Amino acid sequence: MTSTELNTYVAFGYFVAGFCYLGAYVSGLLGSTLRKPVLVMFLAVFAAHTGSIALRWVESYQMGIGHAPLSNLYESLVFFAWTIALALVVVRVRYGTDIIVLLGLPLVFVVMAYTFFLDSSIRPLIPALQSNWLVAHVIACFLGYAGFAVSFVAALLLLAARSSTSLKQHLPRIDLLDEIVYRSVLIGLPMLTLGIITGAAWADYAWGSYWSWDPKETWSLITWLVYSAFLHARITRGWSGNRMALLSVLGFAAVLFTYFGVNYLPGLHSYF
Amino acid sequence: MKGPQETTSEPGKRDSVLSQINSFFTSVRTTITLLFLLSAASIVGTIVPQTSSPEQLSGYSSGVYFRIAVILDLYNVYRSWWFVLLLILLSLNLLGCLMRRLPAIPAEWRGGFSKSNFSFAVSHPGDVQETKNRVLSTMNRLMGASARETRENGFAVISWTKHRVYLLGFPFLHTAIIIILLGGLVGLVYGTRGHVLIQEGDAVSAFESSYGQVRSLPFQIAVDKFTLSHYPSGEPKEFRSDVRLLENGKEAVAGSIRVNHPLTFKGISMYQSDYRVTGLREVKLEAQDASGKKSEFILRPKGKMSIPGASYEIELLSLDPGATGRGAGVKIGVTGPGENRTVYLHRKDSGPVQIGDVKLRFLDYTPLYATGLQIGYDPGAILVWIGCGFLIVGFSLILFTNHRQVSVKIRPEKTGSRIEVSGRSKRLRREFREQVEAGLGAQLRENLRRNPGTGNTKNVDD
Repeated sequence: MTSTELNTYVAFGYFVAGFCYLGAYVSGLLGSTLRKPVLVMFLAVFAAHTGSIALRWVESYQMGIGHAPLSNLYESLVFFAWTIALALVVVRVRYGTDIIVLLGLPLVFVVMAYTFFLDSSIRPLIPALQSNWLVAHVIACFLGYAGFAVSFVAALLLLAARSSTSLKQHLPRIDLLDEIVYRSVLIGLPMLTLGIITGAAWADYAWGSYWSWDPKETWSLITWLVYSAFLHARITRGWSGNRMALLSVLGFAAVLFTYFGVNYLPGLHSYF
Repeated sequence: MKGPQETTSEPGKRDSVLSQINSFFTSVRTTITLLFLLSAASIVGTIVPQTSSPEQLSGYSSGVYFRIAVILDLYNVYRSWWFVLLLILLSLNLLGCLMRRLPAIPAEWRGGFSKSNFSFAVSHPGDVQETKNRVLSTMNRLMGASARETRENGFAVISWTKHRVYLLGFPFLHTAIIIILLGGLVGLVYGTRGHVLIQEGDAVSAFESSYGQVRSLPFQIAVDKFTLSHYPSGEPKEFRSDVRLLENGKEAVAGSIRVNHPLTFKGISMYQSDYRVTGLREVKLEAQDASGKKSEFILRPKGKMSIPGASYEIELLSLDPGATGRGAGVKIGVTGPGENRTVYLHRKDSGPVQIGDVKLRFLDYTPLYATGLQIGYDPGAILVWIGCGFLIVGFSLILFTNHRQVSVKIRPEKTGSRIEVSGRSKRLRREFREQVEAGLGAQLRENLRRNPGTGNTKNVDD
């Protein structure tokens, strides 16, 4: 089986796992009997996903053009989905919040499903991407994005929980959600910072300038500014609740634009 | 000069203006506002096309929007006066916040304990010494540090501090941003960027800056060869310029410049950025005589040569790099007995051209390239990298260390002793409180764990 075929199964695996989470939630068994089985299922799909990334790496070496599978939109989306799934696993293990997994899984599935429409062939690395900075830059950025994605999901739940008391009964405690909204940004921002720094170092080697105000750079800076404002508002001004959640949603919109939106603006990151 | 009248007539106002300015520069509210303003300004810069002069904004060159764009430098947001002003304000604000916060750090470093995040008290049947031993054994292990004992009103107060290096995270992070912005400013004022196109075999000692001025280099760049190689699948694999850097006509450095592998000499870096086909180096042709014997030969620009096995002379006139479906082609002038004509040879399909007894076929060509090099000189870059290093150190301290303090006061009661615990943690406050409660609870055989969120301890998480 090729990595591309495996990715198709992984995408549907996430879909099925998400469906099972939903079923368990609706039947009220997510907190009891079905809690473990659905988690095992999710972890199995995640393991297959990890395997498919490793397999693609091996395949590229077998083709004689070996490189980390982070070189085009298809590969970066598969990796993005992987980092979100990883963040969901971490949050599930750390905080025991199954509902975050339930809401995060559709996000993972959508990202994986989007790759169906893209060219999945393994291509050799073009000169601009032949750099040791590539792997560090992409991994750091996507780990940051994954942190922000989890914060976003928790922020939506927080907004829902605060808007109606009937919803609140079915959701995790508000202070726990608040904590997840904040702490995932606390992990995400240093990762994004590392991503921007490695990107700047790479740009200095490749384009002769550590910062060129290319739209992708600019939007990653905007994302950085929004989440910096988020942390300052939280730590020193004691913001919490709705305002915090809205800032997290706003920040995630900036993340999505940084990733997808700037492709519609002219710039240097055109190969992504 | 301060006149007595001034001080007496409006001392309050003077104070309030100063304190307002002061609070503007030391307030985090200002920081947050500036961060949002910078975001908004950056968004504008990605929407309005950024050019080096407003004249290039063709199609927008009339009307009120154009005038607004020109006044506000919207075509060059990131170098506009107001964007730079925002960055300067941010630096001053960061400096203000640093100045306000720094003085408190040494006291905290020495173990000063101002506000606690949680506190609780519990009674224990043992006497003071027995209780103290129990507390010491748990807390020494929990804090991974030895205790400091002082006395307060005659009672023992034991305190622990862990990871005070965390306290350096804040100054590292905020100094980092100031250094990076300073580096950017140095680069903006003293740095240069530009581009130069050099044909193979040529040497230059000047380049065009990004503002359109010609800038001279303290050395010459001589390009010997530009190589473009492809993968079997057709994608470009490598762009390489083999260059020699000459000082006073003497070779100082020889090397190659590739994408992602710049060459730096005397602080000036040269980067592979683009290339152009500017002419023809040589053409490989094949001649087939009447007997069917084939021979390959090379034709170079400038100068005539005779076709092997025939009494014709040919010369290279021009190259068509191959925009049409017939691929690359060359125009060749043929002179010979009774002939003086121009023939076109194409790489694909068109077949050989008969000249006298000889069939001439186009096999391949080597273009003459001009390589496009990006030239950069930025004395501010080193500051930026130092700042980035500070950022990484700062974030690492804040993420991987956690300044925690616990102070325990023990005093005798009628039956046993009373323990008053207060604690403080910069991060993971709930977890730290639970850790202390669980540790001491197990040691003192008391259930100190509270239901989260319902405890009467002060619990402001982070």
